[in-house]
Amino acid sequence: MRRGPMTVLAVLVLLAVWSAGSGPATGQDAPVRGGTLVAAIVSDPGHLNPAITTSGATHAASELLYNGLLGRDERGEPLPELAESWQVEQGGTVYRFRLRDGVKWHDGTPFTAADVKFTFEEVLLKFHARTRASMGGLLAGVEAPDDRTVVFRFKQPYAPLLYQLDATEAPIIARHVYQGTNPQTNPANSNPIGTGPFKFLSYTKGTEIRLARNPAYFKPGLPYVDGLVMRIIPDLSVQVLALENGEVDFLWELSGPQQGRIKSDPRFRAARTGYNPGGSNCIMTMSFNLDRPILKELRVRQAVAHALDRPAFLSQILFGDGKVAVAPISSEIPWAHAAGLKMPEPDRAEAEKLLDGVGWKKEGEGPRTARGVPGVADGTRLSIDFLHFPAFAKYGELVRQQLGAVGIGVRLRPLEPAVFAPTVFKDRNFDSNVISYCNGPDPEIGVRRMYHSSQVGPAPFTNAAAYRSPRVDALFDEASRTVERDKRSRLYRQIQEIVVQELPYYWLVETVSTRVWAARCSGFKVWAGLFAEAVFCRR
Amino acid sequence: MPSRYLLRRLAQVLPTVAGLLVLNFCIIHLAPGDPVIALGGEHGDAAYYAFLRTRFGLDRPLPEQLLTYVTNVLQGDLGTSFVHGRSVAAVIAERLPATLLLVSTALVLSSVAGVGLGALAARLGRRPTDLTLNAVALLGYATPSFWLGQMALLALAVGTGLFPVQGMTDARNPQTGLGYLVDVLHHLALPALVLAANELALTTRLVRTGLLEALGTDYVRAARAKGLPEGLVIRHALRNVMLPVITVIGSRAGMFLSGAVLIEVVFAWPGLGRLLLSSLLARDYPVLLGMFLLASLGVILANLITDLAYAWLDPRIRYQ
Repeated sequence: MRRGPMTVLAVLVLLAVWSAGSGPATGQDAPVRGGTLVAAIVSDPGHLNPAITTSGATHAASELLYNGLLGRDERGEPLPELAESWQVEQGGTVYRFRLRDGVKWHDGTPFTAADVKFTFEEVLLKFHARTRASMGGLLAGVEAPDDRTVVFRFKQPYAPLLYQLDATEAPIIARHVYQGTNPQTNPANSNPIGTGPFKFLSYTKGTEIRLARNPAYFKPGLPYVDGLVMRIIPDLSVQVLALENGEVDFLWELSGPQQGRIKSDPRFRAARTGYNPGGSNCIMTMSFNLDRPILKELRVRQAVAHALDRPAFLSQILFGDGKVAVAPISSEIPWAHAAGLKMPEPDRAEAEKLLDGVGWKKEGEGPRTARGVPGVADGTRLSIDFLHFPAFAKYGELVRQQLGAVGIGVRLRPLEPAVFAPTVFKDRNFDSNVISYCNGPDPEIGVRRMYHSSQVGPAPFTNAAAYRSPRVDALFDEASRTVERDKRSRLYRQIQEIVVQELPYYWLVETVSTRVWAARCSGFKVWAGLFAEAVFCRR
Repeated sequence: MPSRYLLRRLAQVLPTVAGLLVLNFCIIHLAPGDPVIALGGEHGDAAYYAFLRTRFGLDRPLPEQLLTYVTNVLQGDLGTSFVHGRSVAAVIAERLPATLLLVSTALVLSSVAGVGLGALAARLGRRPTDLTLNAVALLGYATPSFWLGQMALLALAVGTGLFPVQGMTDARNPQTGLGYLVDVLHHLALPALVLAANELALTTRLVRTGLLEALGTDYVRAARAKGLPEGLVIRHALRNVMLPVITVIGSRAGMFLSGAVLIEVVFAWPGLGRLLLSSLLARDYPVLLGMFLLASLGVILANLITDLAYAWLDPRIRYQ
């Protein structure tokens, strides 16, 4: 993706300025200035430094204070932000960014290339889990040859970079604030200085974060509102009550049972997005522990897939808010998502036939019994355990019910996240589980970890299935070095065709978030962390 | 005031707290769960989690961690929160006032109303009003507080707009001075009432049964025979009934944290209960240990005050 002639750059810059000045494309009327927006967030962030964590709580509360080198549009494609243009050189080994002129930190200090170099080298590559894990081993260096140029040099062609430079993946923090300090305990984490559309006013722990309009923001005219309050309300149903009572204007997440009532209410507007500050483009995925004798058998995994009625998951658990997964990679990454794959259809008879064929015979009531199943003692009952977060209990119940119907017993083991992760990824003490695997902005970041053989434990939320396929490994490695998008698309398609055949996982439903806000406000960018950059509210 | 007794009681506090420190530390590390997972998010590689573990000293052997912790606490340092990146004492201190306000308001409300209603019920004898009071008190006790809270929100906040739904202050119009006080009281009303309703029943029932019993004793008969007005008779009897009631109220005060957790979540009240819950989910060991310590001190203090209140209420009790 080479951006050559200066004319293209000029058009890009003009476009950015124009779109900023003329307000959001979604707003139906002219922007109004002033007022305060109150947004509800679900947990106290603890601190407001998004560069040292991938925590959704911190990112939701703090991204509006910062910027990335690039932004993202509605489809996740890169937009100019702190960088006004960029060039990809040497086949994707070198990325050169031209920084915007005249950008200032909230304390008036000029923003320069040295800030970018510092943020990557001293903070992101050490403390930001996704940035560190994805490019840490491949980045040869970040250079700042002059105040307005940043150069990333990689040891080999690196494809995803432009998709991981927004405020979620790589927020830029101030060198003059953090240099020579411990970024995890620097007091500025509670009194942040950024370049973003809003400046920090106060943080009352457990209650709210108050931000004020940054009059010197580099996007002319923005933001429209004078103030923004992030109100901490831990209970999602109480958030809805607060919205109805007029105490807040914006919710990140409207839970399923409330959707019908709120969406039909003319006082509110809603929009769906796969983006989330803690992890985007997530698929609820069932994993099979391939080290276990019962699940090592492909036909058993196929039987499970045929026994599951995934539309029921969508309607009964998500109240229709999402999609049945039709490929292993999320449809929210359209160029990598393999449309038209043949996934196992719900077919109970086929499931029963497969199990009979393996030697799992139906003998009376309850789970099937092993009669000549390889690696399993005769007389063993067909029963698997199923681990899930307490919040995903409904998935467990549906899995148990639907697998029970074909004679597979399921023991549910709800485990809170801090216990679930070591049990699954370190101890590998499970048969099956459900995990919300977030694909992220690029398959390199969120998909590779599920399938590559180098990703089998002990790090959490990696290759839970312990799937090992030299072919798939090679395809992933090639895709990460391939910069041309068409070629990458073809590589990811091949990967998806293979894993749908081999079923180390079964992909249940793509989840999305429904954002909801008071109808008197518009201009929300629900697909980005800088969601309120161009918001305005009528009084 | 029996100062020797007080000194002796205070001297017992130190070894108790030291024992609790070690016990809490062991319990928390025996429980399954890994703080770096909550902290590192789900996209890190193995090296990243190892890096975090080293940074927070979680890679050291457990006895060494315990020794470091106890030494630090004895020097007045409760450590640094994994999640907040600031001193545990500061993290707890900024949340303490909200919880103290909520819990003490509820405690006063439930104690005063409980004694009053109990006395009323006893005085009314077994009439329908007494039965109703009894039933209402029991219902308040048996209803889960989070459900009662949600119902109160639907009926009194969203339905009528009389009360705000969440928080301790108005997000839109921050106030100062007297306006702030009024704002906080307005936000406090519902959560304090719901918490009090939950604790009212025990006090009411205790006072009622105690009074019924006391009103049948000889000294009451003698007082009535002397022609004392009924109100005064009740006051005499009540003083004797108060001893078990004080015990119950004291133990409630000591358990202030546990009562607050659910109410604080429902009403988005910015107190310690919510901090406890989120720290538990994130396995923020230093904050959890700090809160356990605080809770232990709360129980010890509440017990001490209860004992002293006994002596004050009942002249027959003498502490040596």
